[in-house]
Amino acid sequence: MKTIPKPALAAAAGLLSVGLLAGCSGGGAGGAGGSDAASGTYTWWDPYPQHEDGSDWANRVEACGTDAGVTIERTAYDTTALTNQALLAAQEGSSPDVILLDNPAVSTLAETGIVSTVDELGLDVSDVDENLLAAGQIDGETYGIPIGANTLALYYNTAVLEAAGVDPASVTDWDSLTAAMQAVNDSGKTGMTFAGIGTEEGSFQFLPWFWGAGAELTDLDSPEAVAALTLWKDWVDQGLVPNTVISNSQNTTWEEFLTGDFGFVENGTWQVNSAADAGFETGYVEIPAEDGGVAPAPTGGEFIIAPVQEDEARYDVTRQIVECMTTPEGFVETANTFAYYVPPTEAGQEALLEEHPDLETWVSAVREAKGRTSDDLGTDYPVISEALWTAVQNALSGSATPEAALQAAQEQVESELG
Amino acid sequence: MTTTLTPTRARHDDGTGAGDTTPAPAAPPRRRRSPDASRWAAVGFAAPLLVYLAVFYAYPLLRNLDLATHDYTIRAFVTGDADFVGLANFVDVLTSPLFATALGNTAVFTLVSIAVQFSVGLALAVFFRSSFRLSGLLRALFLVPWLLPLIVSASTWSWMLNSENGIVNSVIEAFGGTQVNWLTSPDTALLAVTVANIWLGIPFNLVILYSGLQNIPDEVYEAASLDGAGAWRTFWSITFPLLRPVSAITLLLGLIYTLKVVDVIWIMTTGGPGDATTTLAVWSYREAFGTGQPDFSPAAAVGNVLILIALVFGLLHLQLQRRQEAS
Amino acid sequence: MTNRRTWWKTGLGLFFTVVMLFPVYWMANVSLTQTRDLRSDPPHWFPWAPTLEGYQSVFANQLPALGTSLLVGLGTVVLTVLIAAPAGYALALLNLRGGRALNFLLIVAQMIPAVVMAMGFYAIYVRLDLLNTIPGLIIADSTIAVPFGVLLYTAFMAGIPRELLQAARVDGAGAWRTFRSVVLPVSRNSTITVSLFAFLWAWSDFIFASTLNRNGDLVPITLGIYQYIGNNTTQWNAIMATAVVASVPAAVLLVLAQRYVAAGVTAGSVK
Repeated sequence: MKTIPKPALAAAAGLLSVGLLAGCSGGGAGGAGGSDAASGTYTWWDPYPQHEDGSDWANRVEACGTDAGVTIERTAYDTTALTNQALLAAQEGSSPDVILLDNPAVSTLAETGIVSTVDELGLDVSDVDENLLAAGQIDGETYGIPIGANTLALYYNTAVLEAAGVDPASVTDWDSLTAAMQAVNDSGKTGMTFAGIGTEEGSFQFLPWFWGAGAELTDLDSPEAVAALTLWKDWVDQGLVPNTVISNSQNTTWEEFLTGDFGFVENGTWQVNSAADAGFETGYVEIPAEDGGVAPAPTGGEFIIAPVQEDEARYDVTRQIVECMTTPEGFVETANTFAYYVPPTEAGQEALLEEHPDLETWVSAVREAKGRTSDDLGTDYPVISEALWTAVQNALSGSATPEAALQAAQEQVESELG
Repeated sequence: MTTTLTPTRARHDDGTGAGDTTPAPAAPPRRRRSPDASRWAAVGFAAPLLVYLAVFYAYPLLRNLDLATHDYTIRAFVTGDADFVGLANFVDVLTSPLFATALGNTAVFTLVSIAVQFSVGLALAVFFRSSFRLSGLLRALFLVPWLLPLIVSASTWSWMLNSENGIVNSVIEAFGGTQVNWLTSPDTALLAVTVANIWLGIPFNLVILYSGLQNIPDEVYEAASLDGAGAWRTFWSITFPLLRPVSAITLLLGLIYTLKVVDVIWIMTTGGPGDATTTLAVWSYREAFGTGQPDFSPAAAVGNVLILIALVFGLLHLQLQRRQEAS
Repeated sequence: MTNRRTWWKTGLGLFFTVVMLFPVYWMANVSLTQTRDLRSDPPHWFPWAPTLEGYQSVFANQLPALGTSLLVGLGTVVLTVLIAAPAGYALALLNLRGGRALNFLLIVAQMIPAVVMAMGFYAIYVRLDLLNTIPGLIIADSTIAVPFGVLLYTAFMAGIPRELLQAARVDGAGAWRTFRSVVLPVSRNSTITVSLFAFLWAWSDFIFASTLNRNGDLVPITLGIYQYIGNNTTQWNAIMATAVVASVPAAVLLVLAQRYVAAGVTAGSVK
């Protein structure tokens, strides 16, 4: 009878002790603590895990720290986890010094009182475009600066449109868009794809149509809103968009487009590089409003915010770091590293256009764009958004008519917000 | 031969008495030479576990109760001072229109999952019991689904069940059927996530039931075949009854683990379309982490309801154990 | 019996295994697929236009994460066995007072949703300075395995034949010596089963790693995968490639260990 685990156990124990030593020395205890001002380490959280140490973005962050005379310790989370991690950290009093946070979440965090205002930090935000700054403003106070903004437009597959006999310039309102999609379907491909998933992304993609019909987020069951949702529903029913839109995220929808089987896709500036690398030629048009003109599209992109710290002396350095990231050159660098986040200041936009004149359409789209939490919606927005995406899901999957779905959504919002 | 197994099994009060491999004599009560020493020894051996349980389980559980009985807006979550609201969160949860849907979905998801996982696991365990060439290797390969991170397995199932470009629909259409919108239709979404969950749960059931089967001595089967019992009869009259304690614990654990499942459903459908695949666990997760406005208190309340449901089944299991020992 | 019967069963076994592992094949298929072919309709059964970029990325970036996962897995195994084996012994053979209550508590302990555990741990770890450390993650992962381990050990230690224990007692062995020289060796297969479960659960854990170990220098593979999920792009082939590469050593481990798991958890005590 062999008695085994002993040697194996010993080996494992040996490995474990090595690991313990490594963990204790390498892993670093209390990495999230922002209270050791004396050591000159500032903690930075952002939602870009795809940019690891050594990437352009990471180097840039590091450089801003060095310029301010401190070391920046950067951690990347996936964007869905960042808000909650920030809350957990705040609860324990170990907030990081800088967070890059998706703009609709800024008001949520700000309301908890854990974010400092730009006045407290001593930041000057007068240059930032109003429509972009509005997402971070509650009750007259501003809580951060956008590091760049992106928004949605319709990319198209040139070859597919040509084969269908569609001229992209003819897409000026809903009817002409639907006709174009029908022509694409008749030629054997599928008209369009978008993301209708039951998360914030779904609301994000629905908003240009919602606002383009003239609806407002405060009134989810208005006739205009119903018109917008009916547009999507009809597309699904007629096969002009695939059934997968109900569960597509924005990434998935882009992957579908890359197969070359679709005429249009609703996606954002961040895909500009990928579009250039696609196996076919692409172009883009702005999303049309119901009766013509450009639909207001929601702004994406993160804000750079500074959580409240006990040691207020840290704000000085934090401000320097933020300023380093938000010079016009800084904005252009962000744009280059990041899939073309459009700078939020006019100076930055001009600088970007000098380098990339082909981004003209995007820059003008961003200028027309609208923050989701603006119009003083603030922390009401997440509640409205959840109701909205649920209504979209219910209508598209056939569980409810658009009217009924939106009515239920409005009732839900009213019961929750009072 | 079979009768000698029962007295020794009844002696163990842990319920899974299928551990006997030899017919032990009905032993005389052990003479405890030093009862105190033995009792202290018992406590000593169990001490690490007791400390461990107290520190690592009691605290999260209490915290969850705290979250559920106060009104934790996110501001209160951060500052720590929340109003005590007693059972108000629970009332809100139970009277919410979503509760009935979530409860129904949970019931279907859980019961179907464990029923099928268990049956398939048992069938496979019986199948693998007779060792044939490669049986060891194949049995090990069956555990591979367990190795995969959930993001990978759930995403793979999402790919396969995709309405337009999934392999499953591709096969169906090749045979002349029409495309089934597995994950986007409220009629089939729950079924789709249940299938994925069953796939994930088969390895666990297979391993435990297989071990249980190993502990049934061969003599039992020899006697049965001598008596002329066929395979089916052997299974129902001998194997299944002898496996009862192991089956009970497998089903109970399977139930508990399935009640907690969030990742699979979340990655495949985020609880949708609409609320078609929202179970209690998914609801709890969505309240806390799935929206822009974390609602920790309702999430904790739903979490506690889940724990209560699991507790009921745990108590049922305890009753069953007691009844078994008494018989 | 006859060879024919054995081969028939092997054939059936192969068929079942293929059906069961089809999603794993699909995973490998995706790992070799270019992004532009990922969503083609109809889907490609085989990666006709394969790309190795996923694997290149894994070998360039993910090996430390694999090592970390291995370390955490082994650590979890050691910790789980250290706590669960003595507790199982106490519950099964030492007639622990309140044993039944403890058993019940162990079942209840497993009912707590992982998210609740992770949030509670976060608070504890911040105070104990265990955030972003390997030992911290090991302790957290062991909470998944310990209750189950105790239940398993209890169940199978209770089946140890009394003669063996009495023989040890007659030799004058106390509880500890009995444990070390008789009970543990005889429970070898239970130990391996518990180790297997503990390792696999720790290997595939995401929630604890994500909440407690984000900004450590060493992150486990489940977190490493998320590096490929940017906020705007996802590298699916790299994600699947990571899973394939991560599964290979664990699968080898499984094949090696199954012999012991299979042999029945108290075999070795008889004969």
